[in-house]
Amino acid sequence: MTHSTTDWDALAHRARWQRQARTAAITLFLVAVSIPIILPYFWMVMIAFTARTGGAEADTLWTACAVLVPITIGYAVAYQMLSGRARLAAAGLALALAIALLFVFLGDALHVNNFRFLVNPNVVEELRGKATAGAQFPWVWSAFFNSLVLATVQMLIVVAVSTMAAYYLSRFHFMGRAAFLQSLLILQAFPAITLVIPIFLIVYWVGLLNTLTAPILVITTLELPFFIFIMKGFFDAVPWDTEMSALTDGATRRQAFRMVVLPQVTTGMIAIGVFAFIKGWEEYVFVTGLRTGNSYWVMSTYLYYVREDVMGVDYGLVAAVSVMYVLPSLILYLFAQKYLTQMTLGGVKG
Amino acid sequence: MAEIELRNLSKAWDASVAVDGIDLTLADGEFAAILGPSGCGKSTTLFMLSGVYTPTGGEIRFDGAVVNDVEPRDRNVGIVFQSYALYPNMSVLQNILFPLRFKQVDDADKRAREMAELVQITPLLDRRPSQLSGGQQQRVALARALVKRPNLLLLDEPLSNLDATLRLTMRAEIRRIVTELGVTTILVTHDQLEATTMADRVICMNAGRIEQTGSAEDLYLRPDTLFVAGFIGSPPMNLLAVDPSAAGLRLDVDGPVTLGLRPELLRAAETGVPATVSHVEPMGRETLYTAQSELGQVRFLEPTARPNWAFGDMLKLAFDPADTLLFAPDGQRVPDAHATWKDLAHA
Amino acid sequence: MRTTPRTRAVSDTALFLGPAIVLLAIFFVAPILVNIVVAFTDMSQTLDFKDFPTTKQFNKLGKLDDEALLGIELRRSFYKALMLTLVFVVLTLGIFNLTFALILGLTTTALPDRMGAFFRAVWLLPRMSPSVVYALLWLWVVDSTERGLFNQILMAVGFEPMNLRLDHPMAVIVVANGLIGASLGMIIFTSAIRSIPEHLFHAARADGAGPFSIIRHVILPALRWPISYITIYQALALLVSFEYIFLIMGPARSTMTMAMLSYTKTLAPQIGGGQYAYGAAIAMILIVIGILVALAMWRLTNMKALLQRPRIEVR
Repeated sequence: MTHSTTDWDALAHRARWQRQARTAAITLFLVAVSIPIILPYFWMVMIAFTARTGGAEADTLWTACAVLVPITIGYAVAYQMLSGRARLAAAGLALALAIALLFVFLGDALHVNNFRFLVNPNVVEELRGKATAGAQFPWVWSAFFNSLVLATVQMLIVVAVSTMAAYYLSRFHFMGRAAFLQSLLILQAFPAITLVIPIFLIVYWVGLLNTLTAPILVITTLELPFFIFIMKGFFDAVPWDTEMSALTDGATRRQAFRMVVLPQVTTGMIAIGVFAFIKGWEEYVFVTGLRTGNSYWVMSTYLYYVREDVMGVDYGLVAAVSVMYVLPSLILYLFAQKYLTQMTLGGVKG
Repeated sequence: MAEIELRNLSKAWDASVAVDGIDLTLADGEFAAILGPSGCGKSTTLFMLSGVYTPTGGEIRFDGAVVNDVEPRDRNVGIVFQSYALYPNMSVLQNILFPLRFKQVDDADKRAREMAELVQITPLLDRRPSQLSGGQQQRVALARALVKRPNLLLLDEPLSNLDATLRLTMRAEIRRIVTELGVTTILVTHDQLEATTMADRVICMNAGRIEQTGSAEDLYLRPDTLFVAGFIGSPPMNLLAVDPSAAGLRLDVDGPVTLGLRPELLRAAETGVPATVSHVEPMGRETLYTAQSELGQVRFLEPTARPNWAFGDMLKLAFDPADTLLFAPDGQRVPDAHATWKDLAHA
Repeated sequence: MRTTPRTRAVSDTALFLGPAIVLLAIFFVAPILVNIVVAFTDMSQTLDFKDFPTTKQFNKLGKLDDEALLGIELRRSFYKALMLTLVFVVLTLGIFNLTFALILGLTTTALPDRMGAFFRAVWLLPRMSPSVVYALLWLWVVDSTERGLFNQILMAVGFEPMNLRLDHPMAVIVVANGLIGASLGMIIFTSAIRSIPEHLFHAARADGAGPFSIIRHVILPALRWPISYITIYQALALLVSFEYIFLIMGPARSTMTMAMLSYTKTLAPQIGGGQYAYGAAIAMILIVIGILVALAMWRLTNMKALLQRPRIEVR
């Protein structure tokens, strides 16, 4: 039997249904594979705020999940059905509900005692006596301050040096430009981590061993080729016309760089700045590799030795230190997420 | 304001020659257009004039002084780019003020505002370039180029990013502003209409060389070379390879030549070159016909209002021998040489 | 008086490129050379170039033997490291850094923008966390007691608790590295998929293509270069990576890859043996592989765009 007319309504209905089913299936899949990533972080937070001396009780984790999962699903459904202001209201409602319910079910278990290391410089020694693998622990703020210095100084150098170099490579013609760019390309693909031994030797020879300067310069340098290419991509995208225009308007090339070109690549500078900061903040290999003994502490070594010394004794303390360590990275990441996605790898064929 | 002179100016990169020895003199206050297809070297010439490219040969003179090695910032040249090249991080007023930041100017703000008044963008001074329409950006770019009272104003395809209506307005606007200030101006364009309507004098370039310099009328009616003949005019000139031995054709010269004849100068008549219509394109006021004639494929224009022809119609095409142009095999026009057809009624 | 263009060119180069050149020379190029020299000494804790030149270190890795394949018979410990490295790189790259990255790229771009961005942000979380914290989370997950997160889940569904670090060490380091590694491919693939012109999808859909034939005929062809890039780049990164392996497994023999061997024999905290020359010899093998791979990456680079001639000639 042949149809004289097409049943458009049925076709449309089927298409709509298929589209929704596909979105739902993909979402479910992504939720399922994302749980193994989120759950450990969540557990870390729960341990930090609930563990009493000695144990890490999982009951609180599952209770919290039992509270938060239904609320999250409820919010997700509401988000799909509502729009504009109503979504915001739903978010506020869900948040309030979550906080209230968490207090009702977990109120007794929650405490901040595990964060006592923030005010007490001798927490680890009190727990373990003097027999600590990390030898004399500093106060956490000293490690925090060192990490902050390491990450910030390193970030400033990376941004300044790679911006300058990338501008020159992008905008100036000079003898050996092609050769320089090609060598840089090799360095960018080069597995720098294999160089930890000779770098240790060089740092020792130039007398920078056991100083914070060493990891700052080393981390900066090893990341430099990558960041130069990222910045070159941003400079390449600045129209030549504006720079030519600035020159005919009376600027020197340096003035044109500062007044006209640089303001057009701030996105790139923020992106590599965030990346560099996070890298410096987390650095472990070159920090431990370039010191002998405990000449200086940063957060990564602090957490590493806290973990070595008190993991079996006080889970709560280890988790609390972790939370404190991870927080600056995450805040920065959330703030700068939109910049990071704009980075494209320089030179890869599209 | 200055007299501009180019002497045997050349620019070459490793293997390719972009500008191949051009000579040109512009009187103070003159408005000239450099016209040519893309890649003909016109933009390279412009960038050498502004100073961002260094010539590899020849001289650029401003008021008689060689400026080859003078920095762009010291040449006092204003330039308007096709993309307008406004500084995205600055407001409109800051854009216009920018060139004055490098000069000792006491009344910078006043001058900028006067210039804004002249190009009619005063209400927009606090906006960012991204908040402006194409036409408004064009006016800002013009104001920025002119605020420093340049010796020379360069316009690089200034109208090609605008829509058709706006292009008409801006053509007249730019002409008005430039005339009012009396600044020597060079317009670079691939659009012959833009060049002929705006400039006093048109310089036609091809493959790094100047093909012809003259008024719009010179270039249209008396092209010096085959290139100019083919480049100027739409629909293009009929260019027919002819031989003196061809039956019916009489030439003032010996040897094979190219015969040039504008489509609107051919007309259907009682006597003339026999032809068969092969294609008809109504274009509004006129209709363009393509026909296979004894001289080869030709195109001719007739008013649409007249009785007209259809595919396959046979007719005869007449022309005034004085309108014909003859080009030697090297592409140069043979002066005062014409062609005629055996049974044309002579006036 | 104005400076001449020539002196300005020199001072420009010094100002703009100088700092980068100095840093790269001292801390990047020089170490490569130093490593090669040290590999041919017997340098240990005293840090002197003992016995240069000697192939002693390479003799520890293998000995010449006409009977053996390629003429070199590898020593047992090094042979084991080589095999472990191979398994580690192939599994991590194949399962996570490529396949799973591709799945993430495809699925997150198929969702509405904000939802896709949310899931990509989740997957970037491990990469953005300090390595020591990430390793610590893994220790909690695979803890051998019933406190371990993995064991809690196992027990909840009725299984016996397991000691993953002891029984399945390779699985632990593959998954731990893979969850981080997948995010780079995800980002690169996402931006490549995004840059496919919209009209290609419209055309494919108008021609009756379903989601799978769109992936097959529109998306995958556009991902050819990114996939090659990720394969080469990530294979190299995994080959030399030891940070997470060390932080999660410690100096365990079961996961002693080549990079781990080099690190634990020299600089690893508390256990580093200071056998610098031996470590350098292993590193040199990795460096040679690294340079070869880096040269292979040239093919993936758009040299024309990279070397495009600057359009302003004056200084």
